[in-house]
Amino acid sequence: MRIRPFEYLAPESLEEALTELRNFGSDTVLLAGGTDLILAMKHKSVLPTRVMGLQKVRELNFIRQKNSTVHIGALATHSWLCAHDVILKKLPMLGEAVSMIGSWQIRNIATLGGNLCNASPAADSAPPLLALDSRVVLADSDGEQEAPLSSFFLGPGQTALTPSQILKEVIIEIPSNPYSGCYLKMTRKRGIDLAVVGVAFHAEIDPSTQTLAKVAIALGGVAPTPMRATEAEKILAGLSSEEALRALADAAQAAVAATTPIDDIRATAEYRKAIVEVYVRQAGAKVINSLVKAGGNRN
Amino acid sequence: MSDLQVVGKSYPQIDAMEKAMGKTTFVSDLVLPNMLYGRILRSPFPHAKILNINTAKARALPGVKAVVTYNDTPGIPFGPRTEDWTIFAKDKVRFFGDEVAAVAAIDEDTAEKALDLIQVEYEELPFVTDPVEALKPGAPLVHEDRPNNIAAEFRIEAGDVDEALSKSDFVYEDRYQSNQVYQAYLEPMGGIADVDISGRVTLWAGTQIPNMSRMTYAKALGLAPDDIRIIVPDYGGGFGGKFETNVHLIAIVLAQKTGRPVRVFNTRYDDFIAGNPRVPMYIDIKIGATEEGLLTGKEVKVIGAAGARVVYAQAIVSTACYRVDSLYRFKNVRATGYTVYTNTVPTGCFRGFGNAQMTFVLESALDTIAEALSIDPAELRKKNAIGPNETSVHGWEIKSCALRECISKATEAASWAEKRKKRKKFKGIGIACCNHVSGNRPFAREFDGGSGIVRIGRDGRVLVFHGESDMGQGQKTAFAQIVAERLGVPLEMVHVAQVDTDISPFGCGSFASRGTVMGGHGVLAAAEDAFRQLAEIVAAKLEANPDDVVCRDGKFFIKGSPDTAIPFKDVADQAATLRHGAPIVGVGFYDPPTVLPDPETKYGNISPVYPFACHIAEVEVDPDTGVVEVTNYVAAHDSGKVVNPMAIEGQIDGGVLQGMGWALMENMVVKDGRLVNPDFLDYLVPTAMDAPRVNKILVEPIDPNGPYGAKGIGEPALNPVTAAISNAIYDATGIRMKELPITPEKILARLKEGRKE
Amino acid sequence: MKTVITITVNGERHSLEVKPNSTLVDVLRDQLGLRGTKKGCGEGKCGSCTVLLDGLSVSSCILLAVQADGREVVTIEGFGECGRPHPLQKAFVERGAVQCGYCTPGMIVTAKALLENNPSPDEKVVRKAIAGNLCRCTGYTKIVDAILSLADRGSELVKGEKEDGS
Repeated sequence: MRIRPFEYLAPESLEEALTELRNFGSDTVLLAGGTDLILAMKHKSVLPTRVMGLQKVRELNFIRQKNSTVHIGALATHSWLCAHDVILKKLPMLGEAVSMIGSWQIRNIATLGGNLCNASPAADSAPPLLALDSRVVLADSDGEQEAPLSSFFLGPGQTALTPSQILKEVIIEIPSNPYSGCYLKMTRKRGIDLAVVGVAFHAEIDPSTQTLAKVAIALGGVAPTPMRATEAEKILAGLSSEEALRALADAAQAAVAATTPIDDIRATAEYRKAIVEVYVRQAGAKVINSLVKAGGNRN
Repeated sequence: MSDLQVVGKSYPQIDAMEKAMGKTTFVSDLVLPNMLYGRILRSPFPHAKILNINTAKARALPGVKAVVTYNDTPGIPFGPRTEDWTIFAKDKVRFFGDEVAAVAAIDEDTAEKALDLIQVEYEELPFVTDPVEALKPGAPLVHEDRPNNIAAEFRIEAGDVDEALSKSDFVYEDRYQSNQVYQAYLEPMGGIADVDISGRVTLWAGTQIPNMSRMTYAKALGLAPDDIRIIVPDYGGGFGGKFETNVHLIAIVLAQKTGRPVRVFNTRYDDFIAGNPRVPMYIDIKIGATEEGLLTGKEVKVIGAAGARVVYAQAIVSTACYRVDSLYRFKNVRATGYTVYTNTVPTGCFRGFGNAQMTFVLESALDTIAEALSIDPAELRKKNAIGPNETSVHGWEIKSCALRECISKATEAASWAEKRKKRKKFKGIGIACCNHVSGNRPFAREFDGGSGIVRIGRDGRVLVFHGESDMGQGQKTAFAQIVAERLGVPLEMVHVAQVDTDISPFGCGSFASRGTVMGGHGVLAAAEDAFRQLAEIVAAKLEANPDDVVCRDGKFFIKGSPDTAIPFKDVADQAATLRHGAPIVGVGFYDPPTVLPDPETKYGNISPVYPFACHIAEVEVDPDTGVVEVTNYVAAHDSGKVVNPMAIEGQIDGGVLQGMGWALMENMVVKDGRLVNPDFLDYLVPTAMDAPRVNKILVEPIDPNGPYGAKGIGEPALNPVTAAISNAIYDATGIRMKELPITPEKILARLKEGRKE
Repeated sequence: MKTVITITVNGERHSLEVKPNSTLVDVLRDQLGLRGTKKGCGEGKCGSCTVLLDGLSVSSCILLAVQADGREVVTIEGFGECGRPHPLQKAFVERGAVQCGYCTPGMIVTAKALLENNPSPDEKVVRKAIAGNLCRCTGYTKIVDAILSLADRGSELVKGEKEDGS
């Protein structure tokens, strides 16, 4: 379980990092917190000749709100996220999800960027961000490019990043409508586990019609990449809260139908589907009820 | 006994502050001058012929000091029970993880790199991993000289089982399966070996059985036991897993080869694939009862997987076969046990030995009987419970026994009757009992007692030597308390020496919940001897009879005249002066009143004392996900007089959680002959978030055979847990789970089946 | 292939030549001789190697030493001095939270990070905070109680339980 030797680079600016990547990107592996990468190096599933540590690149380490958007730098740690005011107030579902990642020791080091770039189908940060229609900013030495997060994941461990690119930040639009979200995670024990299934449920209510203006359901652990359950969303969108609560069972079925889980050591495909069904119902009910409650309070 | 000063009081472990401050040198913290680092090349196949091993490239790597294989060892077959071990695989590997070769190098990086350079040519062989499959004709043979893969057979019979079952009002028959679980001590197995110029070996190792493993290792190396010195520094947990291991022998072989100290420790991965986890078992049970709920007869058949070599599996299988027979008033019992070779990791001891496996089965069966007969499960157990001063069906002489009291107190604490009446959907309560031993006469080779040495320093400090092992359970503290009590000195005056086979007395070791009873009696006898010598000096000085000398709080006086007291340290000083520096050394031993079981009938008395327990678990089952939450847990124990209440509470808390992990989540999963979850990500060890609070009840009968009346606790703390939880799940859902662990998936599948019906 | 890092360990500044592939735990144990930090799994899954990095608890077995460059590390050896243990060390000892002791240094480091972050955690918070520290001996109860005994609110809780529970 020793790590094989490699050359270590520690650029101090984004520009320095990107220049390095333009020249030697295909030989270089990026290290953010390293909690996944170092383990992979110990297991020899990754044997890099060059490792670029990003922690001194300050331009990647921020959480800020600009008007109605939240910008999160790739190096923001999970601990920082789940304690940050902006996240707690504006994106509590995301805070909830990352607070369930690994141990506290891991959350203190592991980053949002790392969690996304590692591209685990069960990454806890992905379902909430997908449900919020987040965008990612990819940077290379030629400039920056924005893309929806949904196009970022290509498969287990695979992303749209090219060897010369760095995931710079994640941008999330704060909905203008009243909204609520919930992330439910099935684990095999209470403390510290990967998500056997993760379900993010986000909904917005149109104050004028009191119907669901948007419903977004994103799932982790049930497909090669984190995914949206669009058919299920369609069933609920536009319904009143009462109708939506009644339709939740159908939506849950539709969500299950969209999944393509596998059997592995952690769970069977069948169990994963069963949990998706239960969690979409539970998360949906929680979210819709809280929207109703919030609306009621306001009136 | 109410005038006890030290025994019976709560103390932190005597070395706890050292540990809390990070100052304790654990065995894996040791560094010796000029030390090399060893690593073991393990088999990537569950079963394969070794055609060729080429170590040339590895040897050529700079920094590599030795590469060894079977040919570098004496090649003597050995083993703690069955001589089916070799230090390295000879011409075939028998499990995924089997030792093939090893290297010693100047650092860990080099050692690991060298492993990659060893070229081994294998020819894969068909393999068998399930013991039932392994018994079938035509199954691949793990050892060619063992037909049908049978490593050992065990039979025991008493009374007339067939007649008893035929006359029963109700007979329950079923098959259960107990899975393979890993001890998961926090410090992996390993050691450091050094060889002096005469060839004498010193091994620093975390082992529960320093003296017995020395005998095994001597055989393997073609040495005499005295050619090996084993020192046991503090080590991070054992739970039965740290008995003999090839890791130690490989360290010795590498040290012999290089003439330098060599450190070999399992990585966590190696420890998972090549430790000695619990013996998995298939257990068939047939058990009868009268209408009134009296157990009539019982027959069990146990098929246990030894893995690729026998560590202690056959003793574990035989324990599974009959230990529970002395929990209740059984008269007619029959058991057959097969210990079967498989191409899986060799299995060994794990808290509870085989008793934990069978307790799961028996206590599950009792609940089924109780339901069929409409008898309260707690009542059923009380009706059949063995009692004090009874002799069990196999001749076990139970002296103290508070089993019934444990049941009463546990049920009371859990509001059992009330909760059984007001049933709530998906909430359940379950009960299970257990018995155990403190020492095991047929397990120890020549004797099963204990011994000790107590040396009085010139300043009055007391140093205790013993030959058992403190794996973290607090053995040293218990010994210190017992010695302090007997000498009449405060606990701070008593220190306990590291076990060193050159200095310490022989002890069988820490297993079978025997430490406090056997080792405790041993050091008590030694303290007695030391006290007698001190008393003579005091008596001469005070012109009294030595028999009238007493010591309290570190002051000697004559019975009845506490005002004329001499400090303990003054007497110690005087003794050393009078004796020209020769210290007062007390030596003592304990010969327990056990009876070696008859080889044919197994009738005998295997332990001087017998601990008992009753556990009650409450659970809530989520019908949507199958997730079980343990909402309340009560553990009532009869461990005799409790030497250290705080320590015994810690043992119970730890045992219950380890049992809960086993019941609900822990499982070693083998696919295609390989362990697929060899890490703490997928092998699920409960965390603080998973742990329930345990309501611990200590019932304390004074056992005439225990030191100050004490009995053991280590294993009884775990034995009943799986059954208590499973019975609670049954109570909550109506689902009887016969296979461990009881995962949410299994529960949900059964709930869905039920809904369909 | 070595590189020089500067780290402050238990208040002492060190300039160390390290291999980029060395983990922090190996540098602490092998280069600095601080063997109070334990290695239990090498995979960041057991918490035995927990140290504080700039005040945050981290698993030093899955952290490269180069990642600690310019930062401050506190290990168990930095907690109290000879004869004057840190209150957490005292609480662990007095409440029987130490058995084999192999998890203890990491557990105490995590507990310190917790209490500094949240001086009055309740039991649930304590359990979540130490969920990354495996202990196989104690069942965690006495560890949780030791930590709660130092928490503003927790100390009342522990006392209360002892009083009506016994």
